[in-house]
This record gives sequence, C-alpha cells and structure tokens, in this order.
Amino acid sequence: MLSCLLMDSPAIAARALTRRFGEFTAVDGVTLTVAPGQFFGFLGPNGAGKSTTIKMLTGLLAPTSGQIQILGLDFSDHPLEVKRQIGVVPEGLALFGRLTASEYLRFVGRMYGLDRPTTNRRTEELLDFMNLSSEPRKLVTDFSHGMQKKLALAAAVIHGPRVLFLDEPFEGVDAIAAGTLKAMLQRMTERGATIFLTSHVLEIVERLCSHVAIIHQGQLVANGSLEELRSGVAASLTGPQFSPQSGEKLTLEEIFLRIVGGGGPAANEEALQELSWLA
Amino acid sequence: MAGLETSASGPLSALARRQYAALAWMQARMFVNSLRTRRGSFELGARIVTFLLFALLAIGPAVGMGIGAYFLVSGGHLRSLAVPLWILALMWQFFSALAPALAGQNPDLSHLLRFPVSFGSWLLLYLMYGVVAPSSLIGMLWTAAIGIGVLSAHPEAWAWVALTLAVFAFFNLLLSRMILAWIERWMAQRRSREIVTGIFLLVALCAQVFNPAFHQHRRGMPYGLTRGKIAQLGYRIWRVEKVLPPGVAAESIAESISHDSPQKVENLSWLGAWVVAAAGLLVVRLRSESRGENLSEAPKRAAAVRDRAQGYGWLDFSGPVAAVFEKDLRYLMRSGPMLYGLASPLVMVFLFGSTARSAPGRLGAMRMEYALPLGLVWAFLGLTRLISNNLGTEGQGIQFYFLSPTPLRTVVLGKNALHLSLFLLEALLIGIMVVVRFGPPSLSVAAISLAWIAFAVPANLAAGNTLSIAMPYRVNLARMSREQGAVGNGLLSMLTQFGIVAIGALVVVPCALMGHPWLAVPVLLLLAAVAGIVYWRVLAGVDHRIAARMESLTREVAKAGATG
Repeated sequence: MLSCLLMDSPAIAARALTRRFGEFTAVDGVTLTVAPGQFFGFLGPNGAGKSTTIKMLTGLLAPTSGQIQILGLDFSDHPLEVKRQIGVVPEGLALFGRLTASEYLRFVGRMYGLDRPTTNRRTEELLDFMNLSSEPRKLVTDFSHGMQKKLALAAAVIHGPRVLFLDEPFEGVDAIAAGTLKAMLQRMTERGATIFLTSHVLEIVERLCSHVAIIHQGQLVANGSLEELRSGVAASLTGPQFSPQSGEKLTLEEIFLRIVGGGGPAANEEALQELSWLA
Repeated sequence: MAGLETSASGPLSALARRQYAALAWMQARMFVNSLRTRRGSFELGARIVTFLLFALLAIGPAVGMGIGAYFLVSGGHLRSLAVPLWILALMWQFFSALAPALAGQNPDLSHLLRFPVSFGSWLLLYLMYGVVAPSSLIGMLWTAAIGIGVLSAHPEAWAWVALTLAVFAFFNLLLSRMILAWIERWMAQRRSREIVTGIFLLVALCAQVFNPAFHQHRRGMPYGLTRGKIAQLGYRIWRVEKVLPPGVAAESIAESISHDSPQKVENLSWLGAWVVAAAGLLVVRLRSESRGENLSEAPKRAAAVRDRAQGYGWLDFSGPVAAVFEKDLRYLMRSGPMLYGLASPLVMVFLFGSTARSAPGRLGAMRMEYALPLGLVWAFLGLTRLISNNLGTEGQGIQFYFLSPTPLRTVVLGKNALHLSLFLLEALLIGIMVVVRFGPPSLSVAAISLAWIAFAVPANLAAGNTLSIAMPYRVNLARMSREQGAVGNGLLSMLTQFGIVAIGALVVVPCALMGHPWLAVPVLLLLAAVAGIVYWRVLAGVDHRIAARMESLTREVAKAGATG
C-alpha cells in the first residue's frame, strides 16, 4: 500500500499551512505541491517564514492549521513512516558535538534502522565523499562550520531518503565542496529523489532548481517553474529601468527583487548615504 | 573611528567600566526577560528557596564560629584562633570543589573574546562570579562571624583584625576559583582527567587506611605511637601549620591583640604572599583561556589514522536503544564536569563514610547496621542531574530526535538504561566499600537494600523522565556552570530524592524498631511494583508529552552556540 502511495502522489503537498505564534502569523495559508524528482527552491527575505515552513514540513514544528502530505502520507497520521522517507539538514544542523564524525553517522544510521554493516559501509563512503575522513578522532564541536554542514548533509542522506529538505546547505561550505555537493544532489534528483532547498544565494538556486516558490510576510507570493516566473514577472514590468535587454533573460535575483519589492540599486544607494560614518 | 574608546584598557579604565555596565545590564535584562515565562518565575522562586536553605545551613555554624572565636580570644587562647580559621578555609574549598550546587557559576567568558576586553577585566569578571557563589557567600559570612567574635572580646584591634580577615577571605576566594579553574582544565582532556582521577582515588584510599587505623585503636595508640611521639608529631605539624594561611592569619590577629606590631606585619605579609601565589596560579590558567585556548582532544593526524585502522567502538551493537546508550556513554566519558559530578558523591562516601563508626549510642549503631542502604542513597546523588535532565546535554542534536523515525520513548529508554547501569556500578562500588569498612551486612539489611533499590530505581527514573520533559535546561559539557533553569530542576529533583528516601525510611525504621526488619521487604517490593507501573506509564506517554513541548524543549536545550 505504501509503495503504491509513493509512486502516485506528489513528493510534498502542503495545504493551507498556517503557523501562529501568539498574535503573530509566521506562515499564513501556504499551499504548495512538489512533484517527485523535482529540485525545488524555496525563497524569501529574512523573517518571511521559510524556516518555519520547512520546520513544519519536516515535523520539527506543529502547524496551527493545515495539512502536510509527504509522498502521499499524511504527516500527522504517519509521522514515523514519513520520517523514514525524508532527510533533513535543519537550520541548527542537529549535530551531536561530542561525537566524532564517524560516531555521529553510525549513530544516525542506527537511529534510522539501518543494520550495522550497511551503516558502517555508508559511513565510510560518506566520510570519504565529503572529505571528512582525514581526522577521525576530531569531535564535531571542533569542526569548522563548513565541515559541520557537510557532516549534517551526510547524516541527512545516510538512510537514502526519497525527499531531502535542505535549509541553507551551502552556507559556509568552500567552493570545491559545494561543487561536489551540487553534483551529488543533482544525481539524487536524476534517480528520482526530491529536493526542497532554501538558500539566500540566488545564483545557486537558479542553477540547481527547476521550480521555485517565494514566500513573503508568511504568504506564498510566487510558485512555478523558473520560466513561468520569468514570463510572469516580465509581463508585469512596465518601467524602462526594469525592461530586460532584448534577448536577455531575467535573472532569479531580478525576479526575486521584483516580487518581494527590494527597491533596487537606487534604494540601496539611499540607505548607504545615511551611514556616512562608515569608513 | 568616531566615538570609539581608544584609551588604555586596564580593568578600571573607562572602556572597562562601560563593559562592566553593559554586562550588568545584559544580566539584568536576561533576568527580567526570564520572568516573562512561568518557568522563569518558578526558577526565581526556586532560587529564593535554595538561598534560604543555604542561609539556614550557614547561619548555625556562623554563630558557632563567632561564639567560639569570642571565647578563644577572651580566654587568652589567641593562637587557637587557627582552629576556626582552618575549619573555615577547609569548608570553603571543600564546598567549592566537591559540591557543585554550592560552587556557583564558573563562568564561560569565551563569548567575550571577540570584544576588546583586557585580561585584567577578564580576571575581575571571573572573580566577581566567584564572589556571588554560595560557597563564597557562606565563607564570607563565617569570616565575618569570626571577626565579630574576636572584636567583641578586643574591639580596640578592629582595624588590623578586619584587614587580616579581609585578606584571608580574599585568599580563600582566589584559592577556590583557582582550584575550580584548574580542575576544569584537567577534566577537559582525557590524559589529565585520568591522572586527576588517579590522585583522587589515591587520596581517598589513604583516608580509608588512615581512618580505620585510628578508630580501631581508640583506647590505645595506633602504629605503635606513644604520647611523646604524638607530642613531637604535634609540634612538627604546628611548625608547618603556622606558615600556612590559616596559621599566619591567626598569628597576625594574635600579634595585633598582644600589640606586637612588627610581628603582625610580618604575618600579614606572609598571608599576602599566599594571596600572590594563589592569584599567580589563577592568572596562568585564565590567561590561556583569555587567549582563546582550544582544549580539543583531537590527536595528531598520524595517531588518528592508526586509531581508525583499529576499528570502531567497544559497544557497537545494533538497535536504537543501544545507539542512544552508546552515544550518551561517549558523551559522559568526554565531559569532565559530568564525570566529576558523578564521582564526587562517591568520593565523599570514601572520605566521610568512616565517621559513621564514631557516632555514639543507639543511633550510631543503627547507622553502622544500615550503612549499606545509606550508602546506596548516596549512589543516587551523583546521578540526580543526569536522570532529571536527561535531554539537557543534547544541544542542537535534540532536533535530530524529532527528525528521526525512532520513537522518543525508545530514546528515553536508552538513556534510562545507561543511568541504571551507572547506578548499579556506583552501588557496587559503594557496596564493596561498605563491606570492607563495616563488614558484610546482615541478610535482612541486604534484602531491605535490594528491595529499596527495586522501588527507588523506577521511581527515580519516572520522576526524572517527567522533569526532563517539563523542566529541561542546557548542560554545558565543558564547564562546571549552572544554566538558567538548573536551580528549579535541581530543587525539584532533590525533593523527589528526599521523598523516595523518606518513603523507604517510613517503611524500614518502624519495622526495625519493632525488631522485625524483614517485614519491610514485602512492603518495599509492593511499592516497587507500583513504581514500575508508574515508570512504564510515564515511558508510554513520552512521545505525546515531548510532541506537546517540542518547541520549548528545542528552545531550552538547543540554545545558540550549543552543538551539544
């Protein structure tokens, strides 16, 4: 029954997802669907509700209202089955600082129910792949931020998840490692895995993601393929300063600024004028 | 650079004063903000209750010391002032080093490294945290009591007595902080941790050998000693003692009262030298910290590669319960403060267990007879913080449990299994010690002890699991610090322990007094069955209760900067 649901259903489906903190509504009626095998970028300015949404989608935060289905399974009805199918690199990385990288991955593998030989084999492979095997006795707490990020990613994939949630996975990771990780993630989507990614580095999202959603002040303000967003924004542009040169595509940054109302270079210049005491 | 303080940055500079003001403001804001929650208000209440308890414990001895000092001085036994001063110094250092609840906060000032804080300021801040530690407050109270006692007898010497006692108190403060700082440093790394543990055990064993030898020869002299030899030994000890801080402080006060000015200055200078020595050792330690010392246990690469080739883990059996058990055990083995907290009650039993023999009358006899169950009560003490805050060490890692498909009751079961194992180990060590010191317990006492354990273990674990979810707090694995929330949790867990011990005593004592101690066994076993049922019910509800408190648990345990 489970395999049947996995094949026919969207990888991620959120309906009217809402989260309130007292009087403040952090996420307001977000509805989105991510198809299996999609590389999905989830964008928004600081405080827009990205992390709250991803926490709800991964079970770290209970929604005030709304429904979440992962691979056709309702999260609230089947939390453990859903968790077996997903991997997460959360905002805080969820690492155990007093273990070594190897111990941490072995611990995670066992917590996901992998048998010992499989856990050991995958641990070795992931440590080598992530270039984390040179210091096997070093504690995670002594790792650089980039190394911690790589380890968190290794832990998120050790059980072979069908859906991967990544909250700012490339922040602090060096260029070489980032290239390797991107290649790994792209291979995962080619094999049918779904990736839900948030990042402030719009170039990365533009390069990796086939579909993008933008959240602003808790509400979903754009959702679709990059081409759909481009054509939608291009059609709404009227001023000469926003008109793309003929034959030139709008970048994701331009789309993003247009949708969330960043104000453009003129506004930035104005703000800098007010900080005239800066060297 | 407009508006930036560029002048000298000593501990009393304008910049330093602004920094102190900023830190004080930050502490005040954190305190006020903490009161916004029910948890914060409860924490404040717990602090007030704890303060009152400590005050009650401290005031009695303070009065005793004051009266003692008065009679010693007014009776002309000026040099004997060394006795209360020795008691004061030993208790101050003992409370500070071996009783974490009294040691107060050993502050982690590493967050100040990114600011232009001078080393002098760093040192001063470190000492300020020491001043407000309960052990220091009690020590200062006792010092003041001795001062009042002395001055009541000889008010004319007030200036010199006050100066001497102030220097003596400052020395004790420096010494206690210095000891704590060095212990923390030694416990941070495996090799030094092992050496310190070895020294601890050696000292404890020496005390064990020394004590019985004296007690077994109460009517005669141990080790072939004669009165003459004892007098000679006493003279040697006195010669050494009079150059140690309590001795020179007593000499200084005695000389000031007998108006021998040059001698009193000399003695106070000696005391000053001790202050400089303690301060020097503290400075050496803190200077490394202020330079951003890294106590990583990472070995050299070559050694690391060799270790890797040797294989992994000595508890590498499968399953989530075993995974949690092994992970928590690794955490324990890598955290000096946690190991220290676990071992200190054991050390106290080692050091002071023998006093039970010397208690007079029926009470003393009963204490000897029931030494095993009394020791087992102590065995729980070292585990109190672990049991009642079993998620506190997870840091950011707690989120992993919420993300993984393993039910949280399985996680808690793994933790409980480790805590049970640790208790059994401590109980075994204490059992061996009791048998060696007091002989094998009677069959009835052994049966009572086992029945009480059967009741106390599930009762403790059930209460601990409940408290861990309801009142968690972040545990700093590298420092002996007490975080926000620790006092409230600590108070409730101690009350729980007290309740469990009291229930046991209410069953055992009447049966023992009636001459039928065996009767306590079935009653305790019945209680054990009830406690077992309660434990399983609590465990069954763990997932539900953690789910309801997931956000606050994450907030409390995974505070910024904590990666467990």
